[in-house]
Amino acid sequence: MAEKKNEPNQKKNTNKGGAAGKNKGKDNGTRNLVIGMILLVVLAGAGSAIAKNRTNTHAALPSDVSVSEGYGISFNPKAPVKLDVYEDFQCPNCRNFEAVNGNYINSLVRAKKMHVVFHPINILGPESGLTSAASACASDQGKFLEYHMALYKNQPTAENSGYWTNEKLALIGHSIGITSAKFDTCINTGQYTKWAANVEADAAAKNINSTPTVLLNGKPIPPQDQLNLAGLKNLFKAAGVK
Amino acid sequence: MKRISHVAIAPWLTLVARLLLGGVLLVAGYLKTTNPAQAAASVRVYRVLPTGLANVFGYALPWIEIGIALLLVLGIWVRYSAVAGGGLMLLFIIAIGQAWARKLAINCGCFGNGGVSADGKVHPGVYLAEMLRDLGLVLVAAYLYRFPRGKFAIDRISEEFTEG
Repeated sequence: MAEKKNEPNQKKNTNKGGAAGKNKGKDNGTRNLVIGMILLVVLAGAGSAIAKNRTNTHAALPSDVSVSEGYGISFNPKAPVKLDVYEDFQCPNCRNFEAVNGNYINSLVRAKKMHVVFHPINILGPESGLTSAASACASDQGKFLEYHMALYKNQPTAENSGYWTNEKLALIGHSIGITSAKFDTCINTGQYTKWAANVEADAAAKNINSTPTVLLNGKPIPPQDQLNLAGLKNLFKAAGVK
Repeated sequence: MKRISHVAIAPWLTLVARLLLGGVLLVAGYLKTTNPAQAAASVRVYRVLPTGLANVFGYALPWIEIGIALLLVLGIWVRYSAVAGGGLMLLFIIAIGQAWARKLAINCGCFGNGGVSADGKVHPGVYLAEMLRDLGLVLVAAYLYRFPRGKFAIDRISEEFTEG
């Protein structure tokens, strides 16, 4: 890092001293040009990476989003027991979590028995971001839970393999009964790409490092308890879910 | 700077060392740029830096690695680039070591998704393998510090022009 910061100074020095000094100007000029280009790549790359992963307050927001809850898709905010699910639609363990507990959790949401906040983050790569943004489009159609489940049911074995395209994501929506043209437009225009980045930025700020991370009233459910439906039901009941 | 003329093989070894350390940094950096979220998470899991700082470092690190890698591969400021590259590796070794000592499950993002402990279990082999690989690269960097002059280096061309 320190060395990088010194580069511009050194460049100037050798430019000034080099032409009149003992070194031949042409060669140092070439070297300085290359150094300058490398520095530019590093600064531009790092700068844009940092900027991209900041919360964008102008991002378009889907329905059911709770900004104060990390931009998550929030159901039944008045229910006393809260579940936060940080997940990545490309993550196999998240698919397993959904396969074991999805129906139960969805039934709690529909019966308004639990405050559930879904945080679909991108931790595995570009197609995670695509699927997250598409899930928000489904939320606008009132079909978040259905789409959520359909994404996992259709999860391919390889990540970022080109399987998740806008076309495919729209088809999944149609298969669960979404008919509005707005849904397709939402996916094709990347309407909620920035929102998805905000969900990720919030998870990063909250030190969420793996998926699924499931918090019951803010307390993580250990990975070994995540794939045990009976155990999960007991945990929920102990926390006050009726 | 000491001169190492009369050693015919040294410049070639230096070239190999540059390509090795630079190549590893370039690949590691490039893979991480394709997934900045994971790069940041893989810094956070070491729990050395506060979360905010870890994120900034995680987003910037791949580009710093690429920068050092390009300097090494092209042979610019080889001595200092080797110190920077070797220094990074030392940092990683320390980070992995403290994670091991604290029994933190690390998910090192160095090569895609390597060294995963997704189930929360701690596997000593994961830490050891990462540390040994990084230690090897520290030795490569040390060689470059001692013998920075190699074939096909921009540094070298400049020097030869100066000497001639």
